[in-house]
Amino acid sequence: MNGNTQRRVVITGMGVVAANGIGKDAFWQATRNGVSGIKPISRFSTGDLPITVAGEVSDFVVNDYIERKLAQHTDRVTHFAFAAVQEALQDAHIVLAEENPHRVGAVIANTVGGVEYVLEQVRALHVRGPRYMSAYTAIAWLQVANVGQMSIRYGIQGYCKTPVNDTVGGLDALGMAYQAIRRGAADVILAGGCEALLQPCVLLVMAQSGQCATGDDPRAYRPFDRRASGLLLAEGAGICIVEEYGHALRRGATIYGEIVGYGQSNDAHGSLIPSSNGAQYARAIRSALQEGDLSPQDIGYFSLDGRALPTSDQGEAKALHLAFSNGLGQVALSVPRTMLGHSYAAAGALDTITALLALQHRLIPPTINCEELDPRYGLNIVRKEAQPFSGSGMLIGGRSMGGANVVLALRSI
Amino acid sequence: MQRRVVITGLGVVAPNGIGKEAFWQACVSGRSGIGRVTRFDASPLNTQIAGEVADFDPQTLGITLEEALNLDRGTQFALAAANLALQDAAFSTELNQGERDRFGVYLGSAMSIVDEGEKVWIRFTNRGTQPPKVAENDTFSATPLLSSLASANVIAAHHQLHGPCTIISTGCSAGADAIGEAFWAIQEDRADRMLAGGADSAISYGGLNVFSVMRALSTRNDEPERASRPYDGRRDGFVMAEGAGVLLLEERAMALARGAHIYAEVIAFSSNSNAYHMTALPDDGAPLQQLLWQILSEACITSEQLDYINSHGSSTPSNEPAETAAYKAVFGERAYHIPISATKSMIGHTQGAASAIETIVTALALEHQVIPPTINQEQPDSLCDLDYVPNVARRAPVNVALTHSSGFGGVNSALILAKPDWGDMDEW
Repeated sequence: MNGNTQRRVVITGMGVVAANGIGKDAFWQATRNGVSGIKPISRFSTGDLPITVAGEVSDFVVNDYIERKLAQHTDRVTHFAFAAVQEALQDAHIVLAEENPHRVGAVIANTVGGVEYVLEQVRALHVRGPRYMSAYTAIAWLQVANVGQMSIRYGIQGYCKTPVNDTVGGLDALGMAYQAIRRGAADVILAGGCEALLQPCVLLVMAQSGQCATGDDPRAYRPFDRRASGLLLAEGAGICIVEEYGHALRRGATIYGEIVGYGQSNDAHGSLIPSSNGAQYARAIRSALQEGDLSPQDIGYFSLDGRALPTSDQGEAKALHLAFSNGLGQVALSVPRTMLGHSYAAAGALDTITALLALQHRLIPPTINCEELDPRYGLNIVRKEAQPFSGSGMLIGGRSMGGANVVLALRSI
Repeated sequence: MQRRVVITGLGVVAPNGIGKEAFWQACVSGRSGIGRVTRFDASPLNTQIAGEVADFDPQTLGITLEEALNLDRGTQFALAAANLALQDAAFSTELNQGERDRFGVYLGSAMSIVDEGEKVWIRFTNRGTQPPKVAENDTFSATPLLSSLASANVIAAHHQLHGPCTIISTGCSAGADAIGEAFWAIQEDRADRMLAGGADSAISYGGLNVFSVMRALSTRNDEPERASRPYDGRRDGFVMAEGAGVLLLEERAMALARGAHIYAEVIAFSSNSNAYHMTALPDDGAPLQQLLWQILSEACITSEQLDYINSHGSSTPSNEPAETAAYKAVFGERAYHIPISATKSMIGHTQGAASAIETIVTALALEHQVIPPTINQEQPDSLCDLDYVPNVARRAPVNVALTHSSGFGGVNSALILAKPDWGDMDEW
């Protein structure tokens, strides 16, 4: 009653808005060469704020993608989504108008919504009065705004969802899209994440939470380094065109890779920072491998969570040793996100896109800033420069505040 | 053979009752939970009414002192509802590690960050009089704000559940989406048990005003209990409310094996998107028509077999005629014979919790064979001429029931539930 469970799911298009490049090609050129997009925040005064550097997207012109009126009624986060979706659709050479709209969906993760727009309106409300708040506030601000706007713009009438899961929402979005297509609920889904959280109040909250490196050092995001003190924040969007394999074949699409597994677990440890115990994360890794009918030896690249806090780095290292044991030396490990900063809900999607580009170009981008790799983790991480990629399987890992572990398994077709 | 999924625990925190019994009694007696806003001074706003949860006592609902201090109000509602659902499910033994690994949490939430977000902005900017900063002697903690975005994880941590865990934020359909995704997870053998539902608490100055400036809210400030009136000719907008609804979904064979009480079986979940407008259905309810066709086909039933519909029924001028038009287009003459009730008439609109609470109402209707009413039905609307079970609950045979929601952002979702023995009686 739920369709053919043998349906396979592939990725046929990618769109990127990131601090070190807009568009797949610019993004890859920067990423393969270890070019960082972290710089002093320029869109507002960082004055006395504890965080002054981030992966801010520069040279983004919203009117290249949408009309002025729509741009005014939507937040920066939705602007990024519009851009990444347009890029991804062009890259996939798919024309949605020619598809059955009920079989097309959108699953776009987001964490803090249109925070810049809404806080301006909260100011208007409290400083000037209730009637000065824009009637577009709710539409611009709720996390669901992104899929809602994409649905309207592209006539998408199928499966639409908005996962909110801290730093792993983007991986959840790809996982949910994969499951929905596999069970026959859709044929084509625009999936990924978007985030625009570089706003003074958010920076204050994140600095207090102890998850972010504070100060003005653009090289402060150093996972697995002895000096690790948290991550740097970023904004951006990553969108993949996720498609049923037969559908992709019939229209002669270029296939970047296949999604074959989605592993989920939860540490349930109650503290906010991912735990130092890697047992549950290892279970998510195993479950993604098993679903994809992959063995640890099949994995050529593991895109790590790399939260850059000693406890979570330790937990991730433990999980890797548990899941791969002696074979871990054969897996290339990297956190290319060190070049972008952590864009929360967008991150998992950008990590996936990076991995698919790595597969295409047979080159694994480096983890930057990790000059003093802490030997107690026992990890051999790709650093300094890109490294040749051999193998066909890849895992993308992510862990959230509160304990969710998500692992996506991909392989070449 | 396809794994089947049943509902074995219900937990609800609603303006008209906390806990399954109190809530159901309120619903079948047509008791409204809407009143004047008490949590802040709403007098400068056009709308000054809402469905607030009164007498919420975290300690009696299994929330620790530490959780009560560190969690935002919406997450406390979610945790309380999860605690109630687990209590209701009456496990006779402690879950073992293997069972905890296969037990997850999916929650829906539409506006979870609102309450804490506005408080934090006021604190950092001194109500807009200074650039954002944390004052020198301020003991600000980010935890309540961040927990508002991690309610599912908070429940997983409290009960030591290690299965799939995420939040879905699809407006008013969020709770139903979380339940539907949890149903799929169990059906596809990714989990054996899931706590699933929704929670929201967004009755704040800003939270209320964002909808007020859209003119989406009722302004019937003098008669709060009569303000939410889906289908009635004098409806003038929805009424904001807060709350949580969490259900325990369980693989059927396991539920039977442990002798669990089964409220209902989840038969089908379906969802789609309007591609029309961020906040409204077209007049003919076309996307809802499509959704109804889709879910009937998914459930392998005809409209003849549908005994009850718990509708979205938000009490906005445009929603109910569109809904009614969609029912007629899909069900034809049969539309006039299916009892339909909008329990938002009593609860108000609990945002991300709404469709989860409505799923609980639907399960309880199957359990008790009683259909709760749509209250405040006084003046007919010619565009809404179906059987909305006006004002008084009704005893009726209910074997198969549908609940659906139309969310802000354009996502529509539907679930079909059936009496626990229905699948056995009827070969399908």
